[in-house]
Amino acid sequence: MNQQELIVQLQQGDAQAFKKLVDEWQDMVYNTALGIVQNADDADDITQDVFIQVYQSVSSFKGESKFSTWLYRIVITKSLDHLKKKKRKKRFGFMQSLFGNNSDEEIHPEEFNHPGVLMENKESAAALFKALQQLPDKQRIAFTLHRLEAQRHQDIAAVMELSVTAVESLIARAKGNLRQILKDYYEKNVA
Amino acid sequence: MNKNEQINKLVDEALSSLDGAERATPKPYLFTRLNARMQNEPENSWDAVLKFISRPAIALAGLCLVITINAMVVSSNYSGQTTTAADEQYVSADEYNTSVAVLSDIENIEP
Repeated sequence: MNQQELIVQLQQGDAQAFKKLVDEWQDMVYNTALGIVQNADDADDITQDVFIQVYQSVSSFKGESKFSTWLYRIVITKSLDHLKKKKRKKRFGFMQSLFGNNSDEEIHPEEFNHPGVLMENKESAAALFKALQQLPDKQRIAFTLHRLEAQRHQDIAAVMELSVTAVESLIARAKGNLRQILKDYYEKNVA
Repeated sequence: MNKNEQINKLVDEALSSLDGAERATPKPYLFTRLNARMQNEPENSWDAVLKFISRPAIALAGLCLVITINAMVVSSNYSGQTTTAADEQYVSADEYNTSVAVLSDIENIEP
């Protein structure tokens, strides 16, 4: 069964087609969400949210873009929404901590280790992911799709609804900013 | 190696640390968990109402209904008003007792 047939079957409410779709795309959805939110449990929740939305709104997919492009857009939107909600919660947690409630865990999250990174690169990758948190959303998304999902510039441009030149510029700026952030980080932390 | 060179090396290592990284995979039985969640979480009734209202056809019909009701109320008010401007002046003068509002009128009341 090709992708087109799978989507048609899904649009007709076929449960088996939905299972097949989840099996086929779950790693891509989870990995992208994990790269953005940098928390395994949150990425798992987002993955479920994404597939629920796909199931509910697949009828609106007209096939004008690639299915993967449509799916990436949903993952990115859900992940960014999740981060915004978390930031709001953090602010609230900080206010609570001022009044004596203990919410240190929320305010100072632990270091993130991506499970797919090679063992010898774990420490450097943790510093990189920390630096990524400081980038503007568009730069972060472009960099994550490029480096973590190995997406081509053309595909990233389709997902982000930008020109290829704009994506190239975003990635270049992301690298420049990351270099600076990492430099500052290591200057403070290298003896 | 001086400190600057050491820092540059660390930065380069960090920037290339995702080379060869594999995709992370979710916890097992995602579909089972997903299925359970979809069955346990029926659509919120408010969500259903909002989704229904936000349909373009429903929203447009609602807007037309509001405009029609407004038009009917305005037209019914106008149709009941057949008085002339002079009548209105008389009525308001009578209502607010302004017929003897000027001081000279009060002083020169005829016997």
